[in-house]
Amino acid sequence: MISVRHWVGLYVALFPLFAASAVEAVLAPGYGPLQYTPPTAGSYALPPLGVAADGQVINDAGKPLQLNELLGDKLVLLGFIYTRCSDINGCPLASYVMKKVQAGVAKDDALNRQVRLISLSFDPESDTPDALRDYAMHFRRRGSDWQFLTTASEATLQPILEGYGQVRQKNFDENGEYTGSMSHILRVFLVDRQGRIRNIYSTGFLHADTVINDLRTLQIEADAGSVSGEKAK
Amino acid sequence: MRWILLFTLFVTSAGFADETCMSPYMAKIQGQEDFVYVWTLGVDGVGDEQDKLVTVDVNPKSPNYGKVVSSLSVGGRNEAHHTGLSDDRRYLWASSLDTSKIFIFDIHSDPAKPTLHKEIADFVAVTGGVVGPHTSYALPGRMMITGLSNNRDHGGRTALVEYTNAGDYIVTHWMPTDDNLQGAVKSGEFADGFGYDVRALPRKNIMVTSSFTGWNNYMMNLGALMSDPEAMKAFGNTAVVWDLHARQPKKILDVPGAPLELRCAWGENHDYCFTTTALTSKIWLIFEDDKGEWQAEAVGDIGDATKIPLPVDISIFADDSLLWVNTWNDGMTRLYDISDPHQAKQIYSKKIGEQVNMVSQSWDGKRVYYTSSLLANWDKQAPAGPDLQYLKVYDFDGSELQEKLSIDFLAAKLGAPHQMRFGAYALYGDKTASR
Repeated sequence: MISVRHWVGLYVALFPLFAASAVEAVLAPGYGPLQYTPPTAGSYALPPLGVAADGQVINDAGKPLQLNELLGDKLVLLGFIYTRCSDINGCPLASYVMKKVQAGVAKDDALNRQVRLISLSFDPESDTPDALRDYAMHFRRRGSDWQFLTTASEATLQPILEGYGQVRQKNFDENGEYTGSMSHILRVFLVDRQGRIRNIYSTGFLHADTVINDLRTLQIEADAGSVSGEKAK
Repeated sequence: MRWILLFTLFVTSAGFADETCMSPYMAKIQGQEDFVYVWTLGVDGVGDEQDKLVTVDVNPKSPNYGKVVSSLSVGGRNEAHHTGLSDDRRYLWASSLDTSKIFIFDIHSDPAKPTLHKEIADFVAVTGGVVGPHTSYALPGRMMITGLSNNRDHGGRTALVEYTNAGDYIVTHWMPTDDNLQGAVKSGEFADGFGYDVRALPRKNIMVTSSFTGWNNYMMNLGALMSDPEAMKAFGNTAVVWDLHARQPKKILDVPGAPLELRCAWGENHDYCFTTTALTSKIWLIFEDDKGEWQAEAVGDIGDATKIPLPVDISIFADDSLLWVNTWNDGMTRLYDISDPHQAKQIYSKKIGEQVNMVSQSWDGKRVYYTSSLLANWDKQAPAGPDLQYLKVYDFDGSELQEKLSIDFLAAKLGAPHQMRFGAYALYGDKTASR
């Protein structure tokens, strides 16, 4: 068994950007090996949880897009982040796990080129396309379909946050000055080719092995042409 | 100064009950809570006679300390029972055992004055016949709701139901029974299909459910029920261990005598949960053994079972060392040393009132909250006075409970108080409320 200390070390080595808070934190399960054997892909249902919301976004090349343009042709793993996030079990966890998913998908014949990763910033003020491109260098493999997105303003961001139920609040100091940090729920969404949310992962649940298992489950469903999510009804 | 434990900010996996029943990843009120939200049954002849969400200011530094600062009636009586916080802690889901309505309250816009955000009135129809929504247990972006009954015979066979945080129905998972084990291993005598509470250990991919009784029994007068031998046979005798991710039952464990509340341990390697049995008056441990098998074991007695003390709510300490156990019939709260989870030992007891049901403690264990009501048709009607239907708040110094606050819910014309949840301004970044 690899120790928590090892994973702290690994984390710090991988992401010096976020190392400040790493030592004292209780690491989320996603940083370590899965403590159980996950259910076999395709043996369980992932009932639809509603339609993935659309919105106006900008990619890291500065190109305006509708989020829906990136939903529907592939299985999508979409996580909300902001690049200044210092909470080891927040955005860094999302990016860490998505990087592992990226690697796992690349080695999986059934999933390779079937999956798109999306990291969508909820800090349009700081996370410019340039900032996201720099951030992406820590995570995105060459040739990988991992989109780093931001929005033009709070006004265009808010409908997206509301659509996904993504809570985020800016933190202010004693003088009422914005500290640059935000409290938020970590949420990563699994979206199928019909643009439906099929799973939601938060800190206690987000792990690359289970995410890849869920991706395989949706791929098996697509290959079989079945309507998943109805099994248990 | 208020402290909120935000080592993972608001990142969550599950949230429930008092502060020590939350997920390790949910924002918790580590210090002083500002409010307690009390889901309260309407009582005939008391106030407006309606079920209501009562908000009490419990911050000693507040000028409103000890006062009811909000009372939100929902119209009629529904057998108000349990409540649960959404994973983002912005909404409080309050369920009703008789009408099967679920009321979703907004507690974040103004924590001092909740509002009714949504009412789910078609629970039975959309779930395929599940009756009596009980526990609302937060999972990422959704709620897992336990049922107590069904609309075919109003007995105890029931299901788990999932809703999105927005209040949209997702799916129903019926409990495994003898005639449909759904792949689960029946490890003992029973596979009754009954339900009550639910808890999860995400790191082990385990979900555990317990079992009570159906609408026929919980809506019956308690005296009539106790004198009806056939009805007394219709109580749950099982706990079910589920594959959390797949939502598939794995193993049905015999836990005879109506296992009710489930509380799982906090420690990183503490792979176990506690429950207590209402009819047999025992503490049970549901645990993973050395071989990775989930087992159930009776680990302690609660009072004199022949006197039917009726264990009800329990509350585990944040360090897994102690467990509060309430016994409704004698109005006692009992503290057990569970540092050896296989040998629970009672180390303290105190009479709280004529009847006591729910117990909630602050994260540090220094404040313990009690309410009295169990079920409308089971609650005691006498002796009248401040110890019959109440909210009481105690300080706990590690050895003794000292009463700090008491509200007589009948005298205040509120009703019969049931489940409590804590609220705090700081959860929502409200600087102005920092005192």
